[in-house]
Amino acid sequence: MKRYGEHRFPGKLFVVEGIDGSGKSTQLALLHQWLQAEGYGVVFSEWNSSPLVRETTKRGKKKHMLTPPTFSLIHATDFADRMEHNIIPLLKAGAVVLCDRYIYTAFARDVVRGMDPLWVRELYSFAVKPTAAFYFRVPLDVAMKRILDGRSGVKFYEAGMDLSLSEDPQESFRIFQGRILDEYEKMVPEFDLTTVDATLSIEEQQTYMRQTVKAKLAQAKRLRVAP
Amino acid sequence: MRETYAAPLPGMNLAELTGKLIVIEGTDGVGRSTQIRLLRPWLEQQGRAVLDTALKRSALAGKGIQQAQEGHTLGRITLSLFYATDFADRLEHEIVPALRAGFVVLTDRYIYSLMARAIMRGADPRWIRNAYGFALKPDATFYLRIGVDDLIPRVVFSRGFDYWESGMDIHPSEDMYDSFRKYQTELLTEFERLAKEYNFEVIDATPDAHTVFEHLRAGVAQVLSGEPREPLFSVATPAGGTSEAAGKRVLEMPAPAKPAAPAAGESEPAPQALTSAAEGDANR
Repeated sequence: MKRYGEHRFPGKLFVVEGIDGSGKSTQLALLHQWLQAEGYGVVFSEWNSSPLVRETTKRGKKKHMLTPPTFSLIHATDFADRMEHNIIPLLKAGAVVLCDRYIYTAFARDVVRGMDPLWVRELYSFAVKPTAAFYFRVPLDVAMKRILDGRSGVKFYEAGMDLSLSEDPQESFRIFQGRILDEYEKMVPEFDLTTVDATLSIEEQQTYMRQTVKAKLAQAKRLRVAP
Repeated sequence: MRETYAAPLPGMNLAELTGKLIVIEGTDGVGRSTQIRLLRPWLEQQGRAVLDTALKRSALAGKGIQQAQEGHTLGRITLSLFYATDFADRLEHEIVPALRAGFVVLTDRYIYSLMARAIMRGADPRWIRNAYGFALKPDATFYLRIGVDDLIPRVVFSRGFDYWESGMDIHPSEDMYDSFRKYQTELLTEFERLAKEYNFEVIDATPDAHTVFEHLRAGVAQVLSGEPREPLFSVATPAGGTSEAAGKRVLEMPAPAKPAAPAAGESEPAPQALTSAAEGDANR
């Protein structure tokens, strides 16, 4: 079992991280388009999307059965399935893999839920270290406004309602996201995250991202992929 | 007071867990569930409230594991973590409430079987021990010991060979019999290591169920008497192992072998362990 930092694959792995409303998914979609146009074989993998685990996670969330450890472990199971069946084989094959959220999401959320920081880090030690991990830094108020303008409401676990921070979902969401933001800030030096100022214009952020990615792709081979 | 192997779960008050946690461990087909079926009424006759639990019985993940296993598409790390999810759910929703209420909890397998299986499938022992670090240390673990030659007829003449218990995911080219023999031989060796490390009380499971039960009952009675005690049955090994591990339960394992050096010309930075990177972090 290889550990974080020990993997050596011809492919490249880029991940985006940040609190809800930081604009990371928008940026990753734009990067995806560009890499494809450049002729790279690009694959996208999203947090919490393994078909194997889906029913279990759905049941747990719907019935509010998840506690801090089971919330953590079911997401780790989901991640492991994508890592073993998807991400690692693709990296071996030389693909450029893009992940919307990665292990740092788990480190932030699970620690805010009271799990031991070292326990969570060791739990995910089988993960491949990304070629670059972009962290979209945004003030809480800006992110809150983006989220609450665009949606009718926030979900139970998304708002951290399981932590009994507040009776009001919106207030709970604010406190929870604030704590997650604090955890992200601690991880910037710990994992050498590439910080993106998410208050800049979409174009400016994308330009910075493409420059960073381009520098890392210098030696990567381009794959001919079917359109 | 009750202890955990590493950091306990958030919000768990260990002092409240006054019941008894008794683990029955042993390989597939050794007769664990038969023994639990005998133990339960015997305990209840003495006025003890009993909860019994086993792998894959969680409301959250039991069904999911079952379905995933039918497809035989589970990765090894994924399978381990799915079982850890099932365990955590049962710990929080079954075992802990029962212990808080003063029950005797009988568990058919515990983290040890799960660790042995994971290690057999290439998991880093450090990693799997960490994953189960929140588990409660039991009051006693009774290990039903059997050799592979005695095990095979029992399995053949009861339920037959199971895909996973035969390690067919590890030796797919073998037939079920060869694979079972190979897998179980290695698994039993791993169990012996765990028996020493975690102070199992070993019970010879080769005689008939009733004889095994008499031994088990004597061991359980001693645990429930609440008196300080010596292990009833020694963890002696054929090789005459030392008793250094006796009396203490250790979580740490020797560090695994260093990974192979990266190929020449690699420009990636040196391997970095996640946990060492996190050491000294102020957010503990």
